Amino acid sequence: MNLRHAVLTSLAVAASMAATPAVTRGADYHHVHLAVPSPTEAVAWYVRHMECAAVPDRDDAVDCGVEIHFDALITVGASPGTGVDHIGFAFPDLASKMAELERVGVGGRGVRLQRFDDGSMFRDEPGLFIHGFIFDPWGTRIELLEDPSRRGFHHVHLSSTDPEASLDWYRSVMGGERARFREQLDGLAFDNVWLFVSPHPEGVPPAPTRGRAVDHIGFLVADLDEAAGVMNRLGVAFEGAPETGRTSARRAFVAGPDSVALAVVEPGWAGRETSLVAADSGPIVPAEPYTAPRTPWGDPELQGIWTGDRAHGVPLERPGDLEGVDTLTPEEAAARRERGTLGSIWGYEREWRDTTLGLVGSSPSTQVAMVIDPPDGRLPPLTPEAQARAGGGRGGRGGLPAGPEDLSNYVRCITRGLPGLMMPGIYNNGLQIVQGPGYVAITKEMIHETRLIPTDPRPPLGANLTQWLGDSRGRWEGDTLVVEVTGFNGRAPYRGSGETLTLIERFTRIGPDLLEYRFTVDDPSMWTRPWTGMFTFDRDDAQYELVEYACHEGNYGMTNILSGARAQERAAGDGER
Amino acid sequence: MSSANHRWMRAAPLAAAFLISANMSAAQDADIARAWDGRPDLNGVWQAIGTAHWDIQDHTAGAGLPEMGAIGAIPPGQGVVVGDEIPYQDWAREQKQRNFENRFTEDPEIRCYLPGVPRATYLPHPFQIVQGTDKILIAYGFADTIRTIQMDEYDPQPAPIDSWMGRSHGRWDGDTLVVDVAGFNGQSWFDRAGNFAGNTLRVEERYTPLGPNAMMYEATIEDPNVFTRPWTIRMPLYRRLEDNVRILEFKCVEFAEEILYGHLRRQPAD
Repeated sequence: MNLRHAVLTSLAVAASMAATPAVTRGADYHHVHLAVPSPTEAVAWYVRHMECAAVPDRDDAVDCGVEIHFDALITVGASPGTGVDHIGFAFPDLASKMAELERVGVGGRGVRLQRFDDGSMFRDEPGLFIHGFIFDPWGTRIELLEDPSRRGFHHVHLSSTDPEASLDWYRSVMGGERARFREQLDGLAFDNVWLFVSPHPEGVPPAPTRGRAVDHIGFLVADLDEAAGVMNRLGVAFEGAPETGRTSARRAFVAGPDSVALAVVEPGWAGRETSLVAADSGPIVPAEPYTAPRTPWGDPELQGIWTGDRAHGVPLERPGDLEGVDTLTPEEAAARRERGTLGSIWGYEREWRDTTLGLVGSSPSTQVAMVIDPPDGRLPPLTPEAQARAGGGRGGRGGLPAGPEDLSNYVRCITRGLPGLMMPGIYNNGLQIVQGPGYVAITKEMIHETRLIPTDPRPPLGANLTQWLGDSRGRWEGDTLVVEVTGFNGRAPYRGSGETLTLIERFTRIGPDLLEYRFTVDDPSMWTRPWTGMFTFDRDDAQYELVEYACHEGNYGMTNILSGARAQERAAGDGER
Repeated sequence: MSSANHRWMRAAPLAAAFLISANMSAAQDADIARAWDGRPDLNGVWQAIGTAHWDIQDHTAGAGLPEMGAIGAIPPGQGVVVGDEIPYQDWAREQKQRNFENRFTEDPEIRCYLPGVPRATYLPHPFQIVQGTDKILIAYGFADTIRTIQMDEYDPQPAPIDSWMGRSHGRWDGDTLVVDVAGFNGQSWFDRAGNFAGNTLRVEERYTPLGPNAMMYEATIEDPNVFTRPWTIRMPLYRRLEDNVRILEFKCVEFAEEILYGHLRRQPAD
């Protein structure tokens, strides 16, 4: 079924049904349903890069020959590993298409190429096609194949423990015809759209599609009641009652083989009214001030594993385009966290990110910025001295690193500094607090740094004992752990802070599972006044255990960066000669 | 480890068990600091004294790196291995000898790598115990190393992934903190003499207070792929009593970068 436009859907189906009596008890391929935080961004991406057409009056669907519907869901992982490994698109000239996509890059709403082992973007499977793989920014794996005669949606490729049984199931329940694509690939043909099935690459039962990037795939039937009767005779039942969406057309779900969710829709189905379905509705902050439980020795109890995932993506300063905005909408917040605006490493696979693996129960923070003082969310002006430093430049560096010292402390696996190490990142966000009488130990999983904070009154370390993370001394003020940090060696600056930095941190448990972290940065050599940031950690004791982030031990990146720099220099030298 | 192995390991060091119980009775009731739950209070900064970090077996004085003169020389020491013999399998004894010959280049400590267990305990750096309600954290001065000892449920599970420091489960046996550690990656050494184990290493540590300021540390070491039988090390650990004593940063990565990456500098040192 080649469904060029939504309005043609029912017509095309009618023609097909008339031509192929077998499918009167079956169905036709209708749509792929992707879960993305922001449907409008996804529509733009598929129109731009996959050459799909916008669907009139729909901001959550595109027409690529088959419709792709987008639901505003916080997804829990990419499509590979589920019963729907990828979807396929045909383009007439793959080399130029892949080159075009490579130029887009992975930044922001970019394109992630999945290269073959030899580094190539595409390869020729003799007699079959030239093909390559990419990921969309939300984790759907897409195969691009060359077909001079057409472009657009080409196939859905399933993963199965028993491909043959899967194909039989789809043929008997949903219709289509058993056929071999170019005499090589067994599949089911639905007019121009193919359903292929391969064994799961890891030989294990596929994970459920629900909540993953390809949430479900949809088939079209003339009438749901009739379809229910046919399916019942085949031992397949609807899950729940059929529902209507924006139109009177109805949709029901059935469970396909290999935990693939399948929608069955009637002609005219135009999606649900979308609303963000988040894992929870945001931090539950009690109306009454919360009183933290006490340790057996009487201190407020902060012990446990906390994660900064909720705040991942919250920028330190208010962005220029969010003047006067109090909080983001949940949808905006989800999209922001996906982008990861906090200096993340762009384009990491979704599988790298805690927030997209389905293990993060917290919804994204709707905070506009971390800075709460000054109230405009911006850092205060620099001192004249700091301005002069900035104007003079730090000189020298730039270009290729001459040695490890030219790379950041973080890349060197030395430290993330303070308050840098407290900041949420895209993975390994665990924060473990263990308390003993007179001490609070705070361990950050990322690059494994532990702060041992005494809470009894005691003098600071000697003036000559400066450290990367300074000297943290704590005290309890009511329910709040107040930590004063001085004695920095100035080698791990935060936004330009130096040895004259005094950092005041306030850890307050504001709910059973919510830890507020406020940090006041006071460095009179840098800023004309102190400033304060705030974000929250969520308790995640039930499932989270810190792993050993042996950063330096596995720092192949350092070796590769330096050897790459030397290779580039050699190449440049050869060029000059 | 199978439960059968577990019993076997517990039963093996009979002499050691006798000695420890003698030590324990000496300290019993006397002057052990107690925590909120009546268990020994191990909170504080501790350190091993001795030369086990150079060689856990008996060793005479020896030359170190020549350019360091007497500073770099290896001090003599009485070993901490009970009986002084490490029951290596034949291949492993040869490997240990190769490690020894290459010790000034191949020792993971030179590279500032996480030290493993039990080596972290007797490195020449202090460590701090923070005794929480359901976890005990040991934070070592060397390289930001930590171990989190799970105390809430003594049900040692296979570690989800191998690691340098392994996964620690603890329980109290009277006044002795017993910690079962496994899930190692097999890349650690035991000392600067090249003693080592593999990734099937399992360590049972026993921390027994001898009084307010000392405890006996005993570690039974088992690795069926490297040793012919379990063996044990034992040494006292001492509380650091200086005023305001603190674990200071020893972020040693920068001290190891020349060794690891010096050849990749634009202008390598000679």
